[in-house]
Amino acid sequence: MKICMLTWEFPPRIVGGIARHCLGLSKALVRENCDVHVVTLDFPGAPLYEDIEGVKVHRIRIEIGHPSFSVWAFLFNHFIEKKVASLSRDIGFDIIHIHDWLTAPSGIASKYYLDKPLVLTVHSTEAGRVQGLRSPDSYMIDGLEWWMTYEAKRVIVVSDSVKWELQNHFRLPQEKIDVIPNAVDIMRYQKDVDREQVKRRYGVGPYEKLILFIGRLVPQKGLEYLIWAIPSIVQSRPEARFIITGDGWSKNHLESLATSTGHGEKIRFVGFISDSDLVELTMSADVLVVPSIYEPFGIVALEGMAAGVPVVAGNVGGLSEIIEHDRTGVLVYPRSAESISSGVNRVLSDSGYSRWLTQNAKRKVQEIYSWDAVARKTAKVYEEACSQ
Amino acid sequence: MPDELYFLCILHNIGATSPDKSLTLEEISRWSVLEPEKARSNIQKLISTNYVEVDFSSGVERYHVTADGIRKVLSMYS
Repeated sequence: MKICMLTWEFPPRIVGGIARHCLGLSKALVRENCDVHVVTLDFPGAPLYEDIEGVKVHRIRIEIGHPSFSVWAFLFNHFIEKKVASLSRDIGFDIIHIHDWLTAPSGIASKYYLDKPLVLTVHSTEAGRVQGLRSPDSYMIDGLEWWMTYEAKRVIVVSDSVKWELQNHFRLPQEKIDVIPNAVDIMRYQKDVDREQVKRRYGVGPYEKLILFIGRLVPQKGLEYLIWAIPSIVQSRPEARFIITGDGWSKNHLESLATSTGHGEKIRFVGFISDSDLVELTMSADVLVVPSIYEPFGIVALEGMAAGVPVVAGNVGGLSEIIEHDRTGVLVYPRSAESISSGVNRVLSDSGYSRWLTQNAKRKVQEIYSWDAVARKTAKVYEEACSQ
Repeated sequence: MPDELYFLCILHNIGATSPDKSLTLEEISRWSVLEPEKARSNIQKLISTNYVEVDFSSGVERYHVTADGIRKVLSMYS
């Protein structure tokens, strides 16, 4: 089966979880004997064409811009469409697969001119991301999201919580939806890491506890609630040190907030770090905190579980589906600094409990969240889409 | 959103994302409809945070968004 996958982010253009999802899925689809072509946007240093373990990656240059993000998005869709049209002269695609609204215009157009079924994966919705529609851009994106679910033959969602959103917000019939969770590449965490050395690299001493946050610095990720919890965590565990990775438009505000806790010297914002550094840092952490207030899936939590680090996460959306409280992690009340503090302290104060959580979590990841399992389910969805 | 980040988004969306697509201060002012002084002040802030780089290869100062700058912009929209 020949797949044309359209995505606005693909490594090394990594923003959120979509890039890693598309890479993991496409490589596993190749192992399922699919011919996978990914059409995506260019990125400094990345070639316009490359073969990654059998995945053919075509990167497009966007020749025209516009100050407005929405206009820019429609313009890059035009260039994606042009690339798909050009590729389709030599490749008889069977399926067009898009991820979220950003490639919806080119995906929908390709569906019509290639006369092939469109499969859509919804990773999150605008209404969820911005917690309520308030701007013209949000209304436009929400409309596009409805439109793409209507145009797609099959809609894949990453969790039951997103399925619920689509059924309630867009009135999408449940028969059209398949829930296929995200996955992690477990092999990335099968390596020896000198935790002491990694901690030292980030200014954390061998006897200090590394509390890690990974994510975009935007309100949806709930980092402010972790920052508000810091005084209480430090009171119980003076050796606690906090490393914040990622970037986003709330960074300045969050840095000021961190300083205002009076524990600024224990908190470091390290920005974006490379994928290999991130794996080492995760494996060296004593706790991974995922304080999101909206999380359609929560791949960061899954990565923490695979890395063998205890995860303390907000009891929302996909996180509630991935983590079994008190068995594979600790679920805390969303938007509650007190609950986060209590969860972190519990994990840090009982190494037996912490070990029990990580052992169970690792086992669960290995059993359920592998890319090969996701690819098999996705290939089945492709077959259904082609046969309908 | 701070002014300079809004400005970074504009630089990204108009396509100044690599040395060969870098733009002069005048071009950026026209695109962003900002006075050159205001545009320059934003650019200086963005250079100090490594989100924008200067390119001198054409003999004129031209500016473009760096890889970190691109990620910063994308993180605002995804």
